[in-house]
Amino acid sequence: MDRRDFFKFGLGGAGLTIGESLTGSSDSDSSLSGNHEFDHPWWVNRLEEPKLPVDDRVYSRFNSRKNVFGSMVKYYGMKNLKELRERSQKKTQRYYRENRPGYRLQDRALADAGWVISRLGGLNRGTRSWTRNFVRTPQQRGVEEYKGSLGEAAHMIKAAARYFGAATVGITRLDRRHINAKERGKRIVFEGVEEPYGNKEKLVIPDKCKYAVSMSVQMSLDNIACSPTALSSAGSSMGYSRCEFLVAGLTEFIRGLGYVAIPSVNDLGSSVAPAVDAGLGELGRTNRLITPEFGPMVRLCKVLTDLPLAVDKPIDFGLLEFCKVCKRCAEACPCNCLSFEDEPSFEVKGPWNNPGHKAWFEDSPQCLAYWQESTSGCSNCLRVCPWTKKDKTVIHQIIKGASAKIPALDAFFTSMDESFGYGRQRSARKWWDLNLPEYGVDTTQGKG
Amino acid sequence: MKRNEGYCYLKIRKCPFYIWIIRGLGIVWLVFWAEVAVGSRMELEPRAFGISIGVFTVSLILGLFLWIRGNLKRKKKSL
Repeated sequence: MDRRDFFKFGLGGAGLTIGESLTGSSDSDSSLSGNHEFDHPWWVNRLEEPKLPVDDRVYSRFNSRKNVFGSMVKYYGMKNLKELRERSQKKTQRYYRENRPGYRLQDRALADAGWVISRLGGLNRGTRSWTRNFVRTPQQRGVEEYKGSLGEAAHMIKAAARYFGAATVGITRLDRRHINAKERGKRIVFEGVEEPYGNKEKLVIPDKCKYAVSMSVQMSLDNIACSPTALSSAGSSMGYSRCEFLVAGLTEFIRGLGYVAIPSVNDLGSSVAPAVDAGLGELGRTNRLITPEFGPMVRLCKVLTDLPLAVDKPIDFGLLEFCKVCKRCAEACPCNCLSFEDEPSFEVKGPWNNPGHKAWFEDSPQCLAYWQESTSGCSNCLRVCPWTKKDKTVIHQIIKGASAKIPALDAFFTSMDESFGYGRQRSARKWWDLNLPEYGVDTTQGKG
Repeated sequence: MKRNEGYCYLKIRKCPFYIWIIRGLGIVWLVFWAEVAVGSRMELEPRAFGISIGVFTVSLILGLFLWIRGNLKRKKKSL
């Protein structure tokens, strides 16, 4: 019995009893589908609805052209953007000349190379094609499509997702409002068809695709800890490439069972919203997903399918209360684009935000401008988040559990986290001397 | 009672139960900080490692000091 098992069976058992008696909740869906091995730590509760409310009168499908990546010129102004890029290029050259750690040729080459698998796919393209069939279908094998109970199917999908590289997996009923109304000049529509298809005007998702399998992929903390440098960008790019492999693999697996599967990383719609619905984490002050196991140190992706699955419920691990008092991400943001407000609100910062849900909305154009300013992106908000931990010591689990159950301690934990030096920028020069595990992540973290 | 020469005998001095509780807590405290120090080292968190190893070392030295002082006092009394 290792430390994790000891914790799980010993303190974990006691915690479960206390936790359930305090909240009166239980993870009934998980027990239904026999998914205990894929579940969160004992201090995470399941809820019927996500904690941050949605205004059904306002929340609707988003036009991705409003996204900051698609409208940087509009939001920032052509002249400003040109000046910014020129400044960025000059700075980049200066950093090369200075041989500044984190901005050297090898650092930037690593960041770019990290994208290599991600670039193989795009919206209904390459590894993210909606119809490609690499694996043989049940018809080709001369057998019927997969038949199993909802729980069995969910269990199987989660096992396969883990095998393809998912850190955590959750399943939710697809809320169509999370899917973009328009992307890359094409409308995205739902129709009563058997197979998804696309033409010049539209991309069609079959009505029968009622489930979304939401998955997270770990990013390397050792890389993100070097933020803002090209090495932290390498952490992000590698995360995207691993997402690409994950969705491609899971999609083909589902197709091999005889069902429709539509892969998606950051295309097609929000990845955060289905992840919240599927109980992978909660929405934090960064307006991004924060998970109980890895904090914000994840990239997200999803697969839409018509394979009937047992669904998971949203979770609560006290993050909302924690973010209200912590604010370390907002303090660490070099361009002040994160909110300092105590409470989340329905008020958006600009058209780049999709309104109709309560959140701490961010000033995305400022954030993206700083990416140019720094010459290599920025992940400071992820680096300083107290939920970002490697979990090599039992104290992190104790504090996470205590924070989830006793929000009054959150301010103390935040100040202690800072005092202990967590979240400080690490040396980019020393990164190259690390004895890194595969992909730079500990794949056993958070696996009970 | 006749002693069996084939055995070693461990003599444990009698003391109140609360002393045993304090000793137990002290050991848990030391193990906890040692674990945090080792974990922080593995996490490459120098400050967390420094603080935890500091707390561990100070606690250990303090514990040894109290133990030695107690022994000396007892010896003096028995003399």
